[in-house]
Amino acid sequence: MEFLQPSTWTEALQMKSAHPEAMPIAGGTDVMVEINLDRHRPASILDLTRVTELNQWGADGEFLRIGAGVTYTRIIGELGDRLPGLAMASRTVGSPQIRNRGTVGGNLGSASPAGDAHPPLLATDAVVELASVGGTRRLPVREFFTGPKRNAMKQDELIAAFLVSPAKGPQQFSKVGTRNAMVIAVCSFALTLDPVRKHIGTGIGSAAPTPVIADEAERFLEGVLDEGGLWEKPASVDASALARFGELVAAAAKPIDDVRGTAAYRRHALAVMARRSFGWAWDEYRTKASE
Amino acid sequence: MGTFSKAMTAQNGFSVIGKPFPKPDAVSKVTGRAVYADDMLPARTLHCRILRSPHPHARILSVDTSAARRMPGVQAVITGVDLPIKFGILPVTQDERALEHEKVRYVGDPIAAVAAIDEEIAAAACDAISVEYEVLEPVMSIDEALAETKDERIQDYGGPNNIHKLVALEFGDVDAGFERADHVREDVFFFQGNTHLPMEQHSAIATFVDGRVTLWSSTQVVHYVHRALAKVLELPMNRIRVIGAAHGGGFGGKTDPFAHEIIVCKLAMLTGRPVKCTLTREEVFYAHRGRHPVLMWVRTGVTKDGHITAMHFKTALDGGAYGSYGVASTFYTGALQTVTYDIPAYRFEGCRVFTNKPPCGPKRGHGTPQPRFALELHLEKIADDIGIDSVDLKQRNFVKPMTRTVNWLRITSCGLDECTERVLTASGYRTRQKRRGRGMGFAISSYMSGAGTAIYWNDMPHSEVQIKVDRGGVTAYCGAMDIGQGSDSVLAAIVAEELGLQPRDIRLVTADTDTTPIDLGSYSSRVTFMAGNAALQAARKMRDMLVEAVAAKTGSPGDTVTVAAGRIGDLSFEEASILAEARFGTLTSAGSYTPPKIAGPYKGSGVGPSPAYSYSACVVDLDADPRTGIVKVNKVWIAHDVGRAINPLLVEGQVEGSVYMGLGEALMEEQAFRKGLHKWPSMLEYKSPTFMDMPEVETFIVETVDPEGPYGAKEAGQGPLLPVIPAVSSAVFDALGVWIDEVPVTPEKIVEALRRKEKGEAPRFGPVRFPSIPYPTCIKVEPPPRTLEVGSASAASI
Repeated sequence: MEFLQPSTWTEALQMKSAHPEAMPIAGGTDVMVEINLDRHRPASILDLTRVTELNQWGADGEFLRIGAGVTYTRIIGELGDRLPGLAMASRTVGSPQIRNRGTVGGNLGSASPAGDAHPPLLATDAVVELASVGGTRRLPVREFFTGPKRNAMKQDELIAAFLVSPAKGPQQFSKVGTRNAMVIAVCSFALTLDPVRKHIGTGIGSAAPTPVIADEAERFLEGVLDEGGLWEKPASVDASALARFGELVAAAAKPIDDVRGTAAYRRHALAVMARRSFGWAWDEYRTKASE
Repeated sequence: MGTFSKAMTAQNGFSVIGKPFPKPDAVSKVTGRAVYADDMLPARTLHCRILRSPHPHARILSVDTSAARRMPGVQAVITGVDLPIKFGILPVTQDERALEHEKVRYVGDPIAAVAAIDEEIAAAACDAISVEYEVLEPVMSIDEALAETKDERIQDYGGPNNIHKLVALEFGDVDAGFERADHVREDVFFFQGNTHLPMEQHSAIATFVDGRVTLWSSTQVVHYVHRALAKVLELPMNRIRVIGAAHGGGFGGKTDPFAHEIIVCKLAMLTGRPVKCTLTREEVFYAHRGRHPVLMWVRTGVTKDGHITAMHFKTALDGGAYGSYGVASTFYTGALQTVTYDIPAYRFEGCRVFTNKPPCGPKRGHGTPQPRFALELHLEKIADDIGIDSVDLKQRNFVKPMTRTVNWLRITSCGLDECTERVLTASGYRTRQKRRGRGMGFAISSYMSGAGTAIYWNDMPHSEVQIKVDRGGVTAYCGAMDIGQGSDSVLAAIVAEELGLQPRDIRLVTADTDTTPIDLGSYSSRVTFMAGNAALQAARKMRDMLVEAVAAKTGSPGDTVTVAAGRIGDLSFEEASILAEARFGTLTSAGSYTPPKIAGPYKGSGVGPSPAYSYSACVVDLDADPRTGIVKVNKVWIAHDVGRAINPLLVEGQVEGSVYMGLGEALMEEQAFRKGLHKWPSMLEYKSPTFMDMPEVETFIVETVDPEGPYGAKEAGQGPLLPVIPAVSSAVFDALGVWIDEVPVTPEKIVEALRRKEKGEAPRFGPVRFPSIPYPTCIKVEPPPRTLEVGSASAASI
């Protein structure tokens, strides 16, 4: 197995161009598991841990641009106030040791339908920045996932960063798992309230071949809030509307029965998580509005 | 954390017993200095990998090892023809081979083994071995095993079909008992299998020097490994030495002799070099020998006021591919129901089947957590039926100390009432607020302090201890294996107490078949009781010699010489030992323990008798989400009657560990298979609780001072697991009004039960039927006189 260790971003892109088969590795929390279990034996490994550019984050216009190598621990500690949904999801990743190593960039690269960072990225309309020696392109995260553990990257590309707007309103993330740590989601759900755009964002994890958005549920709930003028005068939302929102979120999923859970339970739990997440977020919004 | 009972910390007249001494091996284990089998790397060590079956059921047509043998670095390749002799832990089920050359019976069954200069070469050589199979129809469930065999039976004994063992016993007049009942109820329960999940994977390393085999292994029972090696290697036992290496956890999973232990010895004999094999985590899941999945049917009659008149209990165990401890496990699913509740007439029918899965065997509580789960919930349902508080109903039926059960089990000390009172009071169970989504559950249990009969029939003691005193140094020799439970601490504490020393003054030599006398090993919660009594006897003999020598020297009568604080009379321990050695020659003493002959007069009575039973009671408080079914355990109160705590710190550790393991079994753990493959053979995906799932545990140590235990001590390692599991399910019922009659109690099952309740169906999740099983006619056994004569349980060795 060839081991490539670039020390700059330019060098990394050149190496990836020269060795398109090379498996990029950052924290190694996915890649090393695959290698250790002999599920995957890449011909070469491209170690990105020395590329300091990947560990930076900062403002990029109205977005935050976060390097692909920023760990979950740093997201929680440094960006928790601006990206509360992603921080909540990051807290549910593995264990402290795994959060110290694992990165959102790596999560995107693996593109597992169960990746914990994916639902909040979907719910906040994040953008993935991909780079190669030929240049850089930006792709909405909802177009990034193309299948189970497959994404839209070209062979010579690397993930440089992701871009996301700082939260304009409450965000939530919830996850059902067999235990409270070191657990891959049975299913998960992220929700974003954006009072500026009057937009509801959703993201569903571990309940379809890829992480998905519940489009119809978003539009339905936006309609309910618009119709009642609730963004301006936040009152409680009708229980039947909430129930319908839950149903629509569940309907957006395409779960299967697998070792972690049944399709039926995943749909049921998604509906509950959707209702509750909105309830928590809406309560927060109303409290803030009345202050 | 835990709360010791007042009696524990009060002056009890002892200087060591009852004090929370740290474990003698604690520092070496937490600093990485303990030498586990996998840490050993003598010069020229070869590494062994094992080729295992990818099929759950297949005939082996041919095995071609020629390519593997040609690989550079490969020193030896062996197959089943090199180790054809069958072995097994029980004399009646010698059905395993270290390497199978005729037939494989589960995914993971060993076929060939390679010794090479490193592990990677050994693994590559295994890949280079080609095996031709004729694939057979696998049998994957109890129902399939009971049905007509499709291709061929898994084993060539037992039957009909894939039945391994059938048991049918009746004590007293059960039919008359049901006739006398005012209310009769039947229920069906299922307990899913789960595995031990020790931190340390199994590991063994063997040498062959001067015609003698030495094996260091991560085992719970050096003696049984010794016997199996002698049989399969066809060597006399005196040419084999088995040493227990530092141990990283067993829980019953290292109680069988294993293929890899035999294989490394054989490879060492062939190559003349040390050979080591450490199982991968995945292999550990397939080696298994864990909790049997058990389907259970129970019928009980009670009077209007809740007194049991008769019980009929049926079990069906999914045994996996081999016998292992299975015959004993089968009896255990019916043996201990009577040890907590006074059942005047009792019928038990048990059945174990073979399936093409890794063999099941003993796990903490061996065969008794499953029926305990069923029994505790069943009695609650009966209480609900007749409108009696379920705790009251249970208490009304508690057994009494100094009695004999209908199936001839002898109960001496019994702290059920006190354990129950402790947890009910501390938890506020009786005054809890009823609120949807929050609940408390209560359950009790009992376990043995060592099996009263050995695995193989013999009249020898079950444990022996030798003590040598030499110029002030005390060494105690015992075959007992410390698997983390603290048996070394117990031995050191007892010898120190008797000789007026501190535990750190006692050197221990344990679990070595060359240098230590026999102990049957760390299983069935027997070490404190049995090795403890042997140590006590040996230590008292040694003390008598020391006292006699001092008395003779000082001219004072022996009974005035005090033994305490490192002094014998007015002399230091060292001075006294020199006097005694001058008087008696080499200072050695020995003690042994043989359990009393208390088995009942019937076939099958060997499983269940124990010189003493521990008792536990538990209350679990939890939140159960009525929408998602997710359970969060808030707190566990548990009281354990340990007779006397030799070391309360270790007792509390055992109790907390039992609660931890019980919660895992209750809520998440499953040893489950798909197409013959384990669904989750990794520590990430086989879910057991983490720190984040573990609630606060309040432990109460109850001391009933057993008449035959060393200083009155009984077991603590297994019993406290038992009540936790039914208490969880009971608390879910308390919170949501639905019964989950199946372990594990998962969110999915709770949601489904709630859905059924909403639709007006039976508010439960669990099995609905018990299969038709061709049990033989019951052996009818006349019950014994139910009260014990006073004095019949006097301590033989004290």
